[in-house]
Amino acid sequence: MTAQLRVSARRMRRRGNWTAWAFIAPVVIYLLVFYAYPLARNVELSVRDYTVRSFIDGSARFVGFANYRAVFANPTFGPALLNTGLFVGVSILFQFSIGLALAVFFVRHFPLSGTLRALFLVPWLLPLLVSGSVWSWMLNSDSGIVNSFLRAVGIGQINWLTSPQWSLTAVLIANIWIGIPFNLVILYSGLQGIPLEVYEAASIDGANGWQKFVQITFPLLRPVSAITILLGLVYTLKVFDLIWIMTRGGPADSSTTFAIWSYRLGFGSLLPDFSPAAAVGNLLIFVALIFGLIYIRTQSRLDPA
Amino acid sequence: MRKRPWWKTVVGVVLTAVMLFPVYWMINVSLTPSGNMRKSPPNLIPIGATLEGYRTVLDQQLPFLGTSLIIGIGTVLLTLLLAAPAAYSLAKLRPRGGSGLSFVLLIAQMIPAIIMAMGFYAIYLSLGLLNSVPGLILADSTIAVPFGVLIFTAFMSGIPDELIQAAKIDGASVWRTFISIVLPVSRNSIVTVSLFAFLWSWSDFIFATTLDGGGDFQPITLGIYRYIGNNNQEWNAIMATAVVASIPAAVLLVVAQRYVAAGITAGAVKD
Amino acid sequence: MEIKRKFKVVGAALLAAGVAAGALTGCSSSGTSSSGGSSAAKGSYTFWDPYPQYDATSAWAKVIDTCAASAGVTIKRSGYDTSGLTNKALLAGQQSNSPDILLVDNPVVSTLASAGILTTTDQNKLVVGDVATNILSAGVIDSKTYGVPIGSNTLALYYNPTILKAAGVDIASITDWASLTAALQKVTASGHKGITFSAIGTEEGSFQFLPWFWGAGADLTQLDSTKAESALQLWTDWVKKGYAPNSVINNTQTTSWQEFQTGDFAFSENGTWQKADAAKMGDLVVPLPAATGGSAPAPTGGEFLTIPVQKDTSRYEASSKIVTCLSSTENIVKTDNTLNYISVGKEAQAAQLAADPTLKPWVDAVQVAKARTGDNLGTKYPKISEQLWTAVQKALSGSASPADALKAAQAAVK
Repeated sequence: MTAQLRVSARRMRRRGNWTAWAFIAPVVIYLLVFYAYPLARNVELSVRDYTVRSFIDGSARFVGFANYRAVFANPTFGPALLNTGLFVGVSILFQFSIGLALAVFFVRHFPLSGTLRALFLVPWLLPLLVSGSVWSWMLNSDSGIVNSFLRAVGIGQINWLTSPQWSLTAVLIANIWIGIPFNLVILYSGLQGIPLEVYEAASIDGANGWQKFVQITFPLLRPVSAITILLGLVYTLKVFDLIWIMTRGGPADSSTTFAIWSYRLGFGSLLPDFSPAAAVGNLLIFVALIFGLIYIRTQSRLDPA
Repeated sequence: MRKRPWWKTVVGVVLTAVMLFPVYWMINVSLTPSGNMRKSPPNLIPIGATLEGYRTVLDQQLPFLGTSLIIGIGTVLLTLLLAAPAAYSLAKLRPRGGSGLSFVLLIAQMIPAIIMAMGFYAIYLSLGLLNSVPGLILADSTIAVPFGVLIFTAFMSGIPDELIQAAKIDGASVWRTFISIVLPVSRNSIVTVSLFAFLWSWSDFIFATTLDGGGDFQPITLGIYRYIGNNNQEWNAIMATAVVASIPAAVLLVVAQRYVAAGITAGAVKD
Repeated sequence: MEIKRKFKVVGAALLAAGVAAGALTGCSSSGTSSSGGSSAAKGSYTFWDPYPQYDATSAWAKVIDTCAASAGVTIKRSGYDTSGLTNKALLAGQQSNSPDILLVDNPVVSTLASAGILTTTDQNKLVVGDVATNILSAGVIDSKTYGVPIGSNTLALYYNPTILKAAGVDIASITDWASLTAALQKVTASGHKGITFSAIGTEEGSFQFLPWFWGAGADLTQLDSTKAESALQLWTDWVKKGYAPNSVINNTQTTSWQEFQTGDFAFSENGTWQKADAAKMGDLVVPLPAATGGSAPAPTGGEFLTIPVQKDTSRYEASSKIVTCLSSTENIVKTDNTLNYISVGKEAQAAQLAADPTLKPWVDAVQVAKARTGDNLGTKYPKISEQLWTAVQKALSGSASPADALKAAQAAVK
């Protein structure tokens, strides 16, 4: 950058603060309207003792952190924590690596590549009710196609959805399947941002495919990878429809994550238990918040403005 | 030009087939008569196929599809309108407090939809937006807007500063620079964000049932729920609806993908 | 359009901040039209039910329209899926936007009543006529009545006569658990499959387990009794020995019915609503046996017509008229035939039976059925039920013994 440019950039930044906020203002208003209220409501639910009665007439007693203490003391807490960690960690690991591998595979054009890539997104078109049901159909112990295949190759029946050992694996497989399109699309667009010349230069220097991937693709893709993983994290933490349809967190809490637990408390039985449900929901938001902070820290270190 | 890598097409087709097997299974179920649905072992192809499910769907579901399409397009437009300028500002104008906003946007994504929906219900009731298409567009966009800002920011930070400075020196205003330089260059990310905004609104169920359960115009996800009665579910009709609902969206996807590819060949991104 | 939206967004911002909410309605009232009852137009009444599968042209919708017309009003009906309806009713109740008439699943009535959403018959002046007390009890809390049942269904044992014949089992020999288990053994030995039921981790799972639980003589206030344990042991053994498929742990009642429909299974525990389907396949039905003989009491299913609280209490009059009309003998017989229900009054049952004598086993079953929230359990039932289905899931999946699973359940209820 020339000296002249740098000066004008600095001047612009000072003058531009108002302009910059003018660009942002609509989103800020939008956030206040649509997020502040539900969030505040959820915090309020979690620090009071709501019953169905007080939910209607608004007379719930303030109980401070009692709901949170009850949640920590609940026997479901341990398994839910472990399952959430496993579910999120394993999902992200596979979604990201498979998504990246596919993105690299598709980024150089070959006949039909555009159409095939588009078809990879079809799983996303299915309402979760449908994809969840199809997976539980396929993984059914007795009449599922997966088990009939396993029987044909001599492995025998696996009770995917109905045994405590397998249920988490079953929902993981389905969730990874659903998450691949998301990772593929974002990483693919990220790959397109890397100029071809860089690769060509590396080829001239005699780099092989793997070296190019490790030394060019991966570092240059880092900002996009970071946001993909972070968003993947946030979305995976929230997943509940899929697990709910497939196993309802069972059998015996073996596939219960925090999101499932929160939903089960709030809406899983005939008598909603709003306050503990909100407390679990807030714990979830809190966990995500920590990851968000980590992300912001890494970002500012990567990109000193 | 190197030789065209046909082997990649073969591998690609195989991978796609594996990925789409559950989708095939959905089609298979949609054609299966109810007596065979839980047959063990299951039929790999729908033997004795019935078009019963499709007949029901075509009779009843077309208006739902239209509504979903309108809601999807509305969500995309609203998302782009809100997210792109904000992201440009965050990525390039870098106002004080901007990183704080990114953080808030991240948090915003973490609130479970069911909680959002309950909050919306109260707001919508007072504003008379319940059971309306614009109301649902607004609600669906809440999933996509924070996502859009984050994605746009990540991509727009990659636009070389020189490009923007050059426009500045030519005397273009910030808004002009945004419209005529930044947006065209961000075409890939626009398509990406639009795609996700559309897909999310297309498959949303929670907002639809909470906010539009009694509406005259309902999206396709509610259409599917018509086949889930109190004690009985008509699975071939449910799956048939899902198949029919996927077709227009799949066409849209293929078209959108072509467009991204075209953007690349035109060399619009880096010059 | 654009301006209007801006108005609304600004309005919402103020509302969220809690400022001048009253003044706001003025600026944004242009498009106000609400789904709920209280703000709907005077002559227009709202009706929510859990039958999304019936559209405006269905017989059910037509009965409602006719009844509304005779009360001099029009009806706007919305169908939600069952689980969505409870949430929606609570949410609407919180915002004072309840429908005028709400048709809900019977075990939910006590929950909504304790939330203060529903009116009693004293308030809405509804006259509850000839309704069998075992069925009405789900709508009675502290001797106040919160609604009338539209119809009732329950569970029984369907069987496939072809398979029983092939296996050499006489249906008349099945009188208690031991003879049923023996029959299952014979059937599986002859190369067929035994029995399907639903032990899913939801209310459906408890619903299906209760005939065995009650049939053993167990009581919902004492989940870890030896009688309760024997019922759970029965199911666990069936799954372990392969008399019932492993997938029962995750099957809804629909899924378990689809398994029965394949024609491979000898028995299926399922509800009244499948009777038309069963007749088509040539399957027959007997009451579920109790542990030591006789018929087990099965839980009652079916919905209640309720009238939610409104700000404008004058609306109750027309609502009551509509409810009375919908539950009149003539209409209820028509409706119950459409919805596959058994009527709840003696007179209506007789009319139904006269028209279709094959309903006999179902009418008998409904007469001895028990309400889940009965025995004055009320809102304690949902908690008990949740623990009950959890215990069933644990035992069938092998993660705990029946005794341990039930002990944990009883401890969690307390």
